[in-house]
Amino acid sequence: MNLNELELDALAELFNLGVGQAADALSQLAGESVQLSIPEVQLLPKAEVVRRLGEAGDRRVSAVRQGFHGEIVTDALLMFPAEQSLQLVQIMVGDAVPLDQLGEMEQEALAEIGNILLNSVVASVGNALGIDFDGSLPEVELGVLSDVLLANESVTEPLLSLQVRFEIASRSIVGHLAFLLDIQSSGRLEEKVAAFIRSLDANVS
Amino acid sequence: MTLPLDEQGRLSLGPLGDWVLGNIQSGLLVLDAQLRIVFANPWLLRRARRSADEVLDRPLTEAFPCQAGSHFERALQQALRTGFPAVLSETLHLSPLPLFALGSAPSGQVRLHQSIQIVPMGHAMAREAGQRYLLVQVTDVSPAVARERVLREQAQRMHAMAHVDALTDIGNRRHFDATLEREWRHAMRQNQPLSLVLFDIDHFKQYNDSYGHQRGDACLKRVATVIEAVAQRPRDVVCRYGGEEIAMLLPDTPLAGALKLAQQVVDAVRGAAMPHVVSPGGVVTLSAGVASERPLPGMVADTLLLLADRALYQAKRLGRDRVETLPSASKAGREPAQS
Repeated sequence: MNLNELELDALAELFNLGVGQAADALSQLAGESVQLSIPEVQLLPKAEVVRRLGEAGDRRVSAVRQGFHGEIVTDALLMFPAEQSLQLVQIMVGDAVPLDQLGEMEQEALAEIGNILLNSVVASVGNALGIDFDGSLPEVELGVLSDVLLANESVTEPLLSLQVRFEIASRSIVGHLAFLLDIQSSGRLEEKVAAFIRSLDANVS
Repeated sequence: MTLPLDEQGRLSLGPLGDWVLGNIQSGLLVLDAQLRIVFANPWLLRRARRSADEVLDRPLTEAFPCQAGSHFERALQQALRTGFPAVLSETLHLSPLPLFALGSAPSGQVRLHQSIQIVPMGHAMAREAGQRYLLVQVTDVSPAVARERVLREQAQRMHAMAHVDALTDIGNRRHFDATLEREWRHAMRQNQPLSLVLFDIDHFKQYNDSYGHQRGDACLKRVATVIEAVAQRPRDVVCRYGGEEIAMLLPDTPLAGALKLAQQVVDAVRGAAMPHVVSPGGVVTLSAGVASERPLPGMVADTLLLLADRALYQAKRLGRDRVETLPSASKAGREPAQS
């Protein structure tokens, strides 16, 4: 499947709408301003993602995984380098004690943060593209990046890959969003995005 | 699809379902699309101290008034709208529902720590049911919260213990190394002088030989107390550096200030007049080496340590019971040593 630049831009815009709402919700939770942005969206085969991550593939990450299914079926993953996830949770929780690792309760907080973000983003994209998604509960996975990304799945399948930047308490924390898509779903996504752009063009003209 | 109801018009899944839901060890609530409570399991009702009649068919915000306008209510509304499940973690929300430990006195009520999961019916099922219902699961995480608090407190206590010298109650070598490194970086960033004084008890081996190790320990403690009394600013740090060597780290302090404080300590210990038969003056005395630097990029913290150590050696060589310093590393050769 291929998405052209115009289609990727359209998706990036929809994702940014979604993270805007998530930022409001997170700001309320944190009691201070949280800003979120998605600088770029890429569609890559998994093998390519793993290759690009190269050595970083051995890095330990904290991930929140949530399944969404409708006309398109996707596993959505929000991943942070382990130390960044510690910082994020610590800022959100407002705990003065530095953390060495995510305890049970902190993992749950991370699940909630990821849940807010993933729900908003998928709702925004689903609304715009006219897809009704059902969702599963978020689960936290701690492990090596390549394991989390490739768990039991074929490496030839594509994934939608996005960077997400959290600006909070004058710090910048960068995470990674990935939507794992099988061949069928990525084909549908392509059709839906193309239709969405045609409808925009129709409205303009 | 119609929901299975009993003779009172209430949700019932039959004997097997009632048995399962009656014995499950977490709280279950089912809400309809108007957030009215259509089902609450016994686990939840007992901890809410309500009967089924008191909560069923009533809006959640009426049955549990504190819920209006809360994060919890917002999350429920959102789940209805989007159809996506949501979690409310214990850490980010303080006990949303008024649930209490069984057996706790109603007067001293402490809410259970709760982890909440909201699961809305999927699109297809909601269409069949005529509206979207929400399942709310409540888990009591109070034991986990208590366990983590204990662990955190222990970790803090152990951290503190690992940085204190057991004999003198001042910082230990580990604490000194960590503090020196931190203050050195701070001084470099702020372009401030950092001073270090190393004290050594004169003829301490002979003191131990003459009076025994117990008196030796007492002498060390006394000296540590005197030094601590002089290093009074919040960021001043006093640590046992070696056997009878004590370090005093003075942030934002130029050489002149450090020399003055070092002299105060040396005078105070002599003035304390602790008897010492082998010492020339008959009392315990200290030698002190002072170093002060305004760290420049490329210089390492060990420079300061090395200079203070050499100055201490100089003080010993020149007859003990005195304060000495050497030329600064950054201005080597331009300032004569003070004596």
